[in-house]
Amino acid sequence: MSAAALKASGLGLSRNETGIRFPHAEEATALEDLQQRVEAALKNGGWDEPWRVHDLEELSPAEMTYLVEKGLMSPGFADGTGEGRGFAVYGDEVASLEIGGGDHLRLLGFRTGDELSVLWSLLSQLDDRLEGTINYAFDPCWGYLTSHPEQAGTGLRIYATLHVPTLMLTGRLASIALELVASGMGLSPLWGGAGGIIQVSNRGRQGKPEIETIQEIEDISRDIVEKERSVRKMFMRENPIQVRDHIGRAIGLAQHAWNMSFPECVNLLSAAEVGLELGLVDVPGLVGQAAFDAMRRLQPAHVVMEHMEAKQSGLESPEIDQVRARMLREIFAGARVLS
Amino acid sequence: MFADESPEWNLDFDNSDTCEECGEVGAVIHLLRVENGSVSHIRLCQKCAENLAGRTEGMALVLAVPAIVGRVGKAKEKGETGPSPVPTSDSQVCTVCGTTLADVKETGMVGCSVCYQVFGDHLRNVVQGGEEPPAHLGKVPRQGSASDIHRREVMRLQRMLRELVECERFEEAASVRDRLSELERAAPGGSV
Repeated sequence: MSAAALKASGLGLSRNETGIRFPHAEEATALEDLQQRVEAALKNGGWDEPWRVHDLEELSPAEMTYLVEKGLMSPGFADGTGEGRGFAVYGDEVASLEIGGGDHLRLLGFRTGDELSVLWSLLSQLDDRLEGTINYAFDPCWGYLTSHPEQAGTGLRIYATLHVPTLMLTGRLASIALELVASGMGLSPLWGGAGGIIQVSNRGRQGKPEIETIQEIEDISRDIVEKERSVRKMFMRENPIQVRDHIGRAIGLAQHAWNMSFPECVNLLSAAEVGLELGLVDVPGLVGQAAFDAMRRLQPAHVVMEHMEAKQSGLESPEIDQVRARMLREIFAGARVLS
Repeated sequence: MFADESPEWNLDFDNSDTCEECGEVGAVIHLLRVENGSVSHIRLCQKCAENLAGRTEGMALVLAVPAIVGRVGKAKEKGETGPSPVPTSDSQVCTVCGTTLADVKETGMVGCSVCYQVFGDHLRNVVQGGEEPPAHLGKVPRQGSASDIHRREVMRLQRMLRELVECERFEEAASVRDRLSELERAAPGGSV
């Protein structure tokens, strides 16, 4: 079975208004004025889809984390404080806007699959509309300006989410990371590295049009995933017992555990996906949905918001691990190891 | 969801350029080791970084970040190993936002868009290694002066011409060259 190289696509587009200081240096009144002007523009008609403006003060920690887990809010913004901060979600959660975070505005888009170009097209349209309200800080040489000069340029940060457990387990990821740095890219573990899920992103924002950088990230991602698949096959040829043992144990645990942390759950789903791709297991519960989608749904705030009655119990509740284990048992019901 | 760049990632770089493995001057890579959820970091030269990367086993994930990250404010201003320093005074100030050069060096951040002009020499020195930033390519604000829009179009076509020549697509290159000539003749103010 051949799957798309990118498990998920994400974009962050930073913009600042000219004529006022960047958020870290600006006074509360000016930031609040900016927030009000932007929110008024979002609430006015004329958008293809409606914006839903959230009051950050009213969001519970679980709701905030839920937004972060969905890729609608960046972790840095969720942790931030201060005046003049606003947040809005576009349409059916296809994009979002952070106001008064590290930059005056940051448009975000996240979706599963190979969707970087589609996302860029959407964010660029929203960006054009916002420009009717905000006069962007721009310099012909530096590009779009930010408080961090090394990030001036297109303002676009691109995130390609990849599933590369074998490269991680065999230690090959380190040399890939070094190669990426040499070409101005970076590599970060998502979820602390659990399941071999990583994100490749661009560090620099200068010297190339957005679409070229997107193309470059897509090419790099395909190369990395190609290496992962080739190492998997090699590993299977050389250590078939070890591979079967690893995957078989994962299936057993997923079917019978009653308490399951999120990182362990990601590791098990990751192993199951490798088993599926190598034709070693049959997991009916994963037919029609990628293991990555299951991982997303089993994140702590997803479990609380979608599967628990007591949403106020917070993200520390031991019940979360029990509910997750039950959900995992349901996914793996009927799963079997092929001989 | 986006990979968290938590405080551990905003490393407190000091001014040392010494590789922690071999002791030689010339550390350019900061390796982050993520193991069992904890992050540690080490400052290395390229060669030692590659050697260490080759020794990684198990669930350890080693990530590399270039030393320039976070160094806008803390770059060494000495001439032997880097670009020539620009003689500036730390009391130089942006009159629009009040940010001083000392602030920029301390935090690595500027206060407003005008700071890019006021501290341009310092920023080019640190971010671009003393070079002018590469001309911005890609999206530009729709609002802009006619000369800006004209200049960007010329830059775009010049780049396209270079690439077409490199690919030996000479017929298309000739057409782009003609379009460039037209634009240069029509440039606001007579020149590009």
